[in-house]
Amino acid sequence: MSSLTPFFQWCDNTFISQAIRNSKFAFPVIENFHLFALTVLLGSLVVLALRQFGVIYKAQPISEVAGALRPWNRWSLAVMLLSGILLFLSEAMKCFTNTSFRVKMVFLFAALLFQFTIYNRLAASEDKVAPAGGKIAAAVALCLWFGVGLAGRAIGFLG
Amino acid sequence: MSILSMCQWLQDTQIGTSIRESIWTFPIIEGTHVLALSISVGLLMVSDLRLMGYIMKRRPVTEVYEQIKPWMFAGFAIMIISGIFLFWCQAVKAYNSIFFKTKIVLLVVAAINAIAFERGIYRNVDKWDNALVPPMQARIAGWASLILWAAIITCGRTMAYTF
Repeated sequence: MSSLTPFFQWCDNTFISQAIRNSKFAFPVIENFHLFALTVLLGSLVVLALRQFGVIYKAQPISEVAGALRPWNRWSLAVMLLSGILLFLSEAMKCFTNTSFRVKMVFLFAALLFQFTIYNRLAASEDKVAPAGGKIAAAVALCLWFGVGLAGRAIGFLG
Repeated sequence: MSILSMCQWLQDTQIGTSIRESIWTFPIIEGTHVLALSISVGLLMVSDLRLMGYIMKRRPVTEVYEQIKPWMFAGFAIMIISGIFLFWCQAVKAYNSIFFKTKIVLLVVAAINAIAFERGIYRNVDKWDNALVPPMQARIAGWASLILWAAIITCGRTMAYTF
């Protein structure tokens, strides 16, 4: 990890990092948007997963539910990443030594990779009943994204 | 007995003290409270957006709303239970926080908005169930709900900073 030290130091010292640190309100405001986006992102995932499990919206093909939720999912993800990067910049060195942050990054990259390679393709299914693979993928996506959220919350608590 | 002394008594109970002084219990309850936002407000958002005429427009309002409702209520049940425990262990701080008081007021307003919707325009939903864009009263209820919940989340997050 030590080879990453200069990178984290650089992140910690950008003018954006300093501006956020020097402002009383920037961090809480950005974190609020991070939380709004979490609600929308995880909310849209839960709805789609419930559809794939076959408990709600059974009259709609899976692709229709996924399509209706897609813009909300994508935009909230964009807000999530942008606000997350800003929060990270403002305390990059704290994150560097924070185990929860490392766990979160592992979950985040796994979740993004899984969603954009496997999950989105299965969610494009025009079937009315998800095959077993779709249900498992929905469960995996939920675990990965809730893992990101849980580890993220732990950054502040556990170190 | 004043409200303040009741808060003091509450947080001094064995349960309040043990949560406050715990290493794991408090973060777990707090983490649950945050992540359950997705099941409560996250699902509420989908039905609000349908009421506002933004998503799943080709599907009946009752289908979008009624099927999601039990899950949404389960989400809000998790929110209320975890929220009560969070209040329990730091009642005095909450009592002194303007953000907590604002949050409670907004929660009451959000509940009134929901009840007014259910008892009002939603009673005649069969007349506009298939409308791509529901009537004004329903759209306003959807907008009000989303704005109120955004404000409630903001108050909840901000009170934790001021603690």
